[in-house]
Amino acid sequence: MAEVSLKHIYKVYPNGTKAVNDFNMHIDDKEFIVFVGPSGCGKSTTLRMIAGLEDISAGELKIGDLIVNDMEPKDRDIAMVFQNYALYPHMTVYENIAFGLRLRKLPKEEIHNKVIEAAEILGITEYLNKKPKEMSGGQRQRVALGRAIVREPKVMLLDEPLSNLDAKLRTAMRAEIAKLHAKLQTTFIYVTHDQVEAMTMGTRIVVMKDGYVQQIDTPKNLYNYPANKFVAGFIGTPQMNFFEGTLLKKGDDVIVRFDNCNVEITVPYSMLYKTEPKYLEGKDKVCIGLRAEDVSLVTGGAKSGKTTIKVVVSHKEELGSETLVYGDVNLNGDGYSESSTRIIFKDTSEVELKAGDVVEVALNLDRIHLFDKETERSVLPRVPEYNYLDCSIKDGKLSFFGTEIELPEALRRDDCQGELLIPTNAVTLDGKLSAKVLSCEKVNDRYLLTLTLNGTRLYAVSTEPVDAKTVNVGIDLKKLTVTVQGEQIISPLAEVNKIDCKFVKRIAVKQVEVKGKTKKEKSVCFGFEVADAYFEAEEALTQKILSALGVKKAFATALKMECGVDDLMISDNGIAARVEETLDYGAEKFLKCVVGNDTVFVKTDREYTGDVFLTPNFERIGVTETDRDIKIV
Amino acid sequence: MTTKKYKSKKAGERISLAITYVILILISLIWLIPFFMLIILSFRGEQVGMSADYLFPKQWSFDNYIKLFTETKFLRWYGNTMLVSVVVTLIQTVIVLVTSYALSRLRFKLRKPLMNLMLILGMFPGFLSMTAVYFVLKQINLTQNLLGLILVFTASSAMQYYICKGFFDTIPKSLDEAARIDGASRHTVFVKIILPLAKPIIIYTILTAFIAPWGEYMFTSFIMLGDPDKFTVAVGMKSWLDNPTMASEYFTVFCAAAVVVSIPITALFIWLQRYYVEGITGGSVKG
Repeated sequence: MAEVSLKHIYKVYPNGTKAVNDFNMHIDDKEFIVFVGPSGCGKSTTLRMIAGLEDISAGELKIGDLIVNDMEPKDRDIAMVFQNYALYPHMTVYENIAFGLRLRKLPKEEIHNKVIEAAEILGITEYLNKKPKEMSGGQRQRVALGRAIVREPKVMLLDEPLSNLDAKLRTAMRAEIAKLHAKLQTTFIYVTHDQVEAMTMGTRIVVMKDGYVQQIDTPKNLYNYPANKFVAGFIGTPQMNFFEGTLLKKGDDVIVRFDNCNVEITVPYSMLYKTEPKYLEGKDKVCIGLRAEDVSLVTGGAKSGKTTIKVVVSHKEELGSETLVYGDVNLNGDGYSESSTRIIFKDTSEVELKAGDVVEVALNLDRIHLFDKETERSVLPRVPEYNYLDCSIKDGKLSFFGTEIELPEALRRDDCQGELLIPTNAVTLDGKLSAKVLSCEKVNDRYLLTLTLNGTRLYAVSTEPVDAKTVNVGIDLKKLTVTVQGEQIISPLAEVNKIDCKFVKRIAVKQVEVKGKTKKEKSVCFGFEVADAYFEAEEALTQKILSALGVKKAFATALKMECGVDDLMISDNGIAARVEETLDYGAEKFLKCVVGNDTVFVKTDREYTGDVFLTPNFERIGVTETDRDIKIV
Repeated sequence: MTTKKYKSKKAGERISLAITYVILILISLIWLIPFFMLIILSFRGEQVGMSADYLFPKQWSFDNYIKLFTETKFLRWYGNTMLVSVVVTLIQTVIVLVTSYALSRLRFKLRKPLMNLMLILGMFPGFLSMTAVYFVLKQINLTQNLLGLILVFTASSAMQYYICKGFFDTIPKSLDEAARIDGASRHTVFVKIILPLAKPIIIYTILTAFIAPWGEYMFTSFIMLGDPDKFTVAVGMKSWLDNPTMASEYFTVFCAAAVVVSIPITALFIWLQRYYVEGITGGSVKG
């Protein structure tokens, strides 16, 4: 019964391989979290770090309110179920379950009651006097579960507990673990490589690959809104169909052109509003994803329409209730190997298809997924990152589609025509512009608002649901980008300053008077050296850095200090910086300064010229290791 | 058409089995004959020295055994040897088990180099260092002292880690991890989980630890030189053979002594072998 929070968790092995990269997650009490991914993706490593069986290279792990990074596994109040059961072979089932309680020196009677209760929950009462080797795999795993639940841990960790069981038993145990979770009301963290297990059991799923978290979401959202091609392909059976192609916007339609076969399909632009405009120019390659159930066989006299496509059938997989048909949209291709033309669809009709048949299938493009071919990122995201608009600057005013905004002095530019990028989070709900609300859609813990501002579509996010038909919106000018013929003339203000720094050890010598004599007393202190300035570091910060880098390397490693624009203060001494210019954003002013090789921005209320001194707010800084790019604090 | 005759599979198996047994019996005969001779000679009643050309005694008697325990210092040597062996066995078993567990489970800097170093050092015959060891013992006044002997035998115990560590490696690490999560410290894991599972290897360690000092001659003869009261059986018995007249007179007593010496080891093995069962880890994890 506890929350678990992982902040910037890294696992780096001595040879430099990063098994887990910047894992961030907050797990609520009583959640059933599933880590899923192919083998070697870091899911088990993450679980073992939570269990305390593996050291955390950098980051902060909290169970409940406690930071447990350096805590022994036994003190973390967790229980773990292993893939290979890990039962103690020389003990009976009863002793196995009681082992943890005995180590905690509970009274005998209490132990007995608890063991019996756990055994009853799991239906293993009759085996209590047997040794593990006399039991079957399913029974052994029950014992392992019993050993875990009997201690009533805060968090239950399960490391692929069902992979060693046969298919039928696995389904049965799956239901039983879900039942157990409902009964125990504890936080469960479950690792599996089986996406079916993940989908059926998790309240939220973490999809991982190569040490990176790909997406964290509910099973349904993962299925319907995969954030990238990997998640799309990993979740769901049969695998999503992927085709390469391009998109071209023509009026109110978008032509979807499939490569490797001469097929074009026209869809209304309204379905692809959220797509980044650069993908609609017919140049950038995209990956078109469609699930098998969104492809259906056109039978009988139904006419071929705009969204049908010809497919040559290669083979079938009969599943009883339905048939998976493998085919190829390239009429010369084969549907056996995974390629960008293979198509899998479900056929529930009575038509007997043979290999080599050419049939027509209809694509349900309402449920199309689009990914960038190179980065594999979704280009049809659920919450668009930016609003893309054409704009012009004239007489110090920025105008787009009939909306005019007075530009502050810092952003004054010569008159020009360009493209405007407004990040979705730069649209605030407290400005002077009036916008109509088209829809308000709940996306996890946020709300995506679709607005029209003088007829222009604009996306904004809000933490509260919006019922009103119109809202007042403002635009945070600090975050805007304006591009004219490929050249950025207005760039967003960096929100986080990055400054080179070093972690140093200093020996301070103090004169102390002891019994009338002055003595020299040496003390070691640690701190940061930033462009010749020295700041002593707090104990906690020192500990974090020393434990992440090791005592030897800590002083030789190049670090970057990260501090927000608000967290750098102008002071009498500190980091020497040369003021380049003062940026006036109307309500706020910022100094653009140079520190060593870095440019930093500092919030200010008056103008400075020449040299200033800066002091970071050490309570809120971040520290990153430059070479390996590991966030330490 | 002629049908070719094939030997049936069973017949073939029988023949090959017969051949195997014949070879095995021959080998074991060669191996066992000296022991039989020793036992039989120890019961010889007549004094004919070493040169007698017959095996079975003309007069069976226990005289040799009685003489062994009454007229010689054998009992004292036997006690010395027993004391040294038991103490060495206890210390060495503990050291080997602990070292092996550490090398099997803990990961520390220089672990691999340390293991290699111990392996290479173990390849040198121990008596290469004999003069140096003697010198050191002399400095700390431990020559002609059983404590010195114990020290010498236990000093390099940790180098015997290899087989034991190999066994520990086969015990799944997830057992350790499960126990640590259950609330056990490393020490508890070792005592309550690993040791009960490592019975066969503990037996093996005890046996090897006992046998080595029990029959050791080289070091003991050096360290105990000149003090017959501190001899072990090996050194003491050899001293009988050094003198030709004594060798002839004590030949049958020597045989009786050899039989008595072999008793503890045989007994130890018979007693311990029932724990020497394999497959003890069955059922802990999916095999």
